[in-house]
Amino acid sequence: MERQKLTWPRFVRLADKYGVMILRWALALVGIGFATAPYLYMILQSLAPWREVNRRLIPSSLTTRSYEWLLQGSATAVARPWLRGFGNSVLVTSLSTLCMLVVAMLAGYALARLRFRGREGIYKFILFQMFYPAIILLVPQFLIVRYLGLYNTYAGMIIPRAVNIWAIFMYVSFFKSVNPAMLEAARIDGASETQVLFRIVIPLSRSITAVIGLFLFMERWVELLWDLIVVQEYPMMTLNVMIATMSGPYASYPGPLYAASVILTVPIILIFLVFSKHFTQGFKFILK
Amino acid sequence: MKRLSRGEGVTGWLFTIPYLAYTIIFFVLPFLWGLLLLVSEWNLISPVREFVGLGNLLEALQSRRVHAAALTPFKIMALFLPAVLIMSLGIAVLINSFKKRQGLLAVAFFLPYLASGVSMSLVVKGVVSYTSPVNKVISNIIGFVPDWLGTPSLAILVIALMIAWRFSGYYALIFLSGLQSIPGELYEAAQIDGAGRIKSFFKITLPQLYPALYSVLILAVGLMFGVFTEPYMLTGGGPNLATHTWYLEIYYQAFSTLRAGYASSIALYNAIAVFIVVGIVRRIMQAWGRAHGWED
Repeated sequence: MERQKLTWPRFVRLADKYGVMILRWALALVGIGFATAPYLYMILQSLAPWREVNRRLIPSSLTTRSYEWLLQGSATAVARPWLRGFGNSVLVTSLSTLCMLVVAMLAGYALARLRFRGREGIYKFILFQMFYPAIILLVPQFLIVRYLGLYNTYAGMIIPRAVNIWAIFMYVSFFKSVNPAMLEAARIDGASETQVLFRIVIPLSRSITAVIGLFLFMERWVELLWDLIVVQEYPMMTLNVMIATMSGPYASYPGPLYAASVILTVPIILIFLVFSKHFTQGFKFILK
Repeated sequence: MKRLSRGEGVTGWLFTIPYLAYTIIFFVLPFLWGLLLLVSEWNLISPVREFVGLGNLLEALQSRRVHAAALTPFKIMALFLPAVLIMSLGIAVLINSFKKRQGLLAVAFFLPYLASGVSMSLVVKGVVSYTSPVNKVISNIIGFVPDWLGTPSLAILVIALMIAWRFSGYYALIFLSGLQSIPGELYEAAQIDGAGRIKSFFKITLPQLYPALYSVLILAVGLMFGVFTEPYMLTGGGPNLATHTWYLEIYYQAFSTLRAGYASSIALYNAIAVFIVVGIVRRIMQAWGRAHGWED
């Protein structure tokens, strides 16, 4: 009896103390469930027996048939170069992102920290470019790419996406926020501008570079419209474009298409998780 | 005033050369070429280009397809804006209520932003397909399977929710950083005045979130005029042009019917539409901000 009397109020006290926390966590888990449900669906369906794809939420057994079919094809359907498509995505996205970062870092540093004639004009033009609607340039950009002989080439996907105005803008505001005394000290010690860049500026911007690079990489990885226009042949297509153009004729093979989607999605999620520490720190800077 | 050192000037130009070269080839040149295209009828292949003056612009004004494309952003917006605002504000308030693990939660809620529209369209196609488990549950309740992508209003709903899902975590982070810059004293003062949680949310939190709301609304409204992947993959703009978008029409005219000039004129209208609508949203938000003591 004595014990009963004691435990009940304690339970209330505990509920009072932890109830809100439990509710919060419950809400958070439901939310994260919604945020990740389509990914889980994709993974489960890619591993489901074919007769169950899109018919059962949780497959009754797991099989890798969709992945095998994707790579080998069958008597009636020739296998497409999916792995090559993945390689194309990696190549195009990495080179594109790398170029965007290097160009933006150099231009951003120059515009923020070096005095030269025309700097103000260039900076104003960058602001104009940032708000200029890119869609107007789509058709003429395509024509230029074709004129330069870059149609159906990797370069056609990489070079027109080798500069990102937003990234330049971000670096300009980052380098403006860097304490100029650090750069001056190095210059007084006789370091050249290139040495200042490599010894101080690049190491200093590691965190911001990780975030900007992450955003550029994520956006380039899932680009559809441009890659769809510039490349029309299988050996060159990115994985994203391959899935997009397959879904018509492949519509009767949803399992393999889910498998291809998993191959497209899992790497980008892993990269994001690896960089997530920089992400939470750097995101706030991007917002300013 | 320090004199311009010669080395600095040279380095400055050297560092901006890659950007400048790109800008000349892929911005200035297309900009000019675009103006030329606008007044020509040209099929991208033939050596013959016909000068048509304002013909393209006038034709687009009368096209049923362009009208449909111009209307779709507003239809999607009507569902997308409330959905994404409720979701992202909810996520931001939730993350902010945690004392620990905020970073982890932010990362988790950001995951949808990584999704490729192409693979998400496949998932949605599967989920709304006739024999899907979701439709089984729904048909048990309402007695029939809705034709999700074949009914205009439902197709718009599907597309709006897909985009809201993708961007809710992104916008939540913008709201979260806004929430964290609200001074705590404001809430203490409200508490002393006897305001409840809901009242202080509408009287303090929302007005204090003005900068975040401003950015999110401009981003979200602008997004509506560039929808491409979802209708391209799911509906092709149908049924009966109900989900036809600006980008679909530009893509179709430029690369299927090969009418470069006509496509450029539609792109110009698209840009004008964005400019006007975003301008209106900006004005409304600034008026609302001023009413709550914010300066432009």
